[in-house]
Amino acid sequence: MPEALADRRRRAAFFLALPSLVVFIGIGFVPLALVAIWSLWSFDPDTYWIKSVWSLASYAALLKSGRADVLLQTAGLAALTATASTLLAVPAATVIGLLSGRRRATLLLALFTIPFFTSGLVRAFAWRLVLGREGIINNVLMSLGVVDTPVEWLLFSDFAVVLGMVAAHLPLAIIPIVLAFARIDSSVIRASQDLGAGFWTMFSSIVLPLIMPGVLAGFLFVFVVAIGTSMEIQLLGGAGASSIAIMINDVMRVVNFPLAFAIATVVTILLLVVIIVADRALELSRLFEDRGA
Amino acid sequence: MTLNPIVGDRTSGGRPLFAIITALCLMIMYAPTLYLLLASLNPDEQLGLVAPTRYSLTWYVALLDDHRMFRALEESAVVALATAALATPIGLAAALAYRAMTRMRSIFLLVTLSTVLVPGTIEGLGLSAVLRLVRVSPSWVTVTLGHLLWTLPFATMVSLIGLLAVRPSTIAAARDLGAGPMRAFVDVTLPLIRGSLVSSFVFAFLLSLNEYARAYYLVGRQNTLPLYMFGAMNSGASPTIYAFSGTVLVASFAAVTLIFFRAARRQSGPPGVSVAISKRTEKSN
Repeated sequence: MPEALADRRRRAAFFLALPSLVVFIGIGFVPLALVAIWSLWSFDPDTYWIKSVWSLASYAALLKSGRADVLLQTAGLAALTATASTLLAVPAATVIGLLSGRRRATLLLALFTIPFFTSGLVRAFAWRLVLGREGIINNVLMSLGVVDTPVEWLLFSDFAVVLGMVAAHLPLAIIPIVLAFARIDSSVIRASQDLGAGFWTMFSSIVLPLIMPGVLAGFLFVFVVAIGTSMEIQLLGGAGASSIAIMINDVMRVVNFPLAFAIATVVTILLLVVIIVADRALELSRLFEDRGA
Repeated sequence: MTLNPIVGDRTSGGRPLFAIITALCLMIMYAPTLYLLLASLNPDEQLGLVAPTRYSLTWYVALLDDHRMFRALEESAVVALATAALATPIGLAAALAYRAMTRMRSIFLLVTLSTVLVPGTIEGLGLSAVLRLVRVSPSWVTVTLGHLLWTLPFATMVSLIGLLAVRPSTIAAARDLGAGPMRAFVDVTLPLIRGSLVSSFVFAFLLSLNEYARAYYLVGRQNTLPLYMFGAMNSGASPTIYAFSGTVLVASFAAVTLIFFRAARRQSGPPGVSVAISKRTEKSN
């Protein structure tokens, strides 16, 4: 009867998956697909909505008035954020995964994860107190006599935005690397040490190649999430600083639905391509598989 | 310092360097918010600008009179409770489905994860346009729908990792002893994953409470908390916003810390990733 059993198992899996599929498809994918279709319709000035007249006007508008620049700018900031986060995350994850005892590792990982569940808005806002003209950093620099006038570029600048985003998204870079560490067989590391490898040799020739999928996954997570960011830029960015999300909000303020839909469609398609390519190349899903328990 | 035995003594400067970078990471994650907490205790009007010399709860008391804030808090609490109450069981069902699946596993996981990665602004925009089409007027219900989509992947992950604590052999034993699948679930699986269900609920609650981008498109007449706070932060108005930020921070930190340490003490699974750690160390011991 193994076939009947497998059949029942499949049916159970289907019914258990059903509610979440309804959410993911009904609330997630269907609106995105409709947005993609509606981006090809035209603006209706009578109803401030859209009408089913096919047009590529919004895609043409996308290329005008610096909108493509905002796309590139956002991608640039996101890449910078992802790079900085990854450079910090590799040593931090190594300390968690390799260098500290078990208790300390658990504590560190908790410390890195906890802020993710607290208010991102408040955490971004807090940087204003630290980086402002009369913030604590400028206060310290001036009282030490390092500078005579407050350093202006600390706040309301790309520097502040990237710093705020790195602080916010660091856990996304660290956790995949920690998961990759969990898959390393410690005997490999011991063997390298028995053979006389020092820390750096062991790290660069054994550990780094083994955690590379986690490192790349972390980079990707931070990059993708940073693409959608608006909070850090609105609270910490300079005058006129924009991002894709802010641009969409601005376009919607004049209820230009088709243009907002076009921006959303382009960004979603680009992100999906990145995610699918990365998933194929890195087998990201393996990071979350149960380890043959 | 407790050192992991698997890395020997010859670290040639690598260990201190890595430790310094780790400390730097923790500093950029924690220092600004700790400074904000300190500043919120300063009774002066210009409280945020210099390190305070006097401390008082002035602004926290003033907070009690902020009726608009309380209405926003109420709205957010309703949304977050409804979101968590939906996301926890649906996430558990999804995790059980994943475990029972033979094919399509990686596709199911990819679907689950990819929804987290779509920018909130785009999800909010799309959902609000569809709701407009079907003539559902925005209210706490529409925000809850958006937040369910946002929190469900996390709830699923927490349940999935919690289920690692349930060995298939334990279930098989229950089944051999005559328990039906439902009975085995209620009597064996459920007690083993109770902790991760609590984690799942609290995480979904907090993620919803602090969500901004989707709510921006989905709220009705009553703002949620982050929307109200964002307005207050950018209007440069009353210093009560610092007190309020402080309250939100302390409350969320307390909730998550409690969950983490309860889980760490029990060592039985949640909050998930610690399992990965304990597994690794078990192997290395």
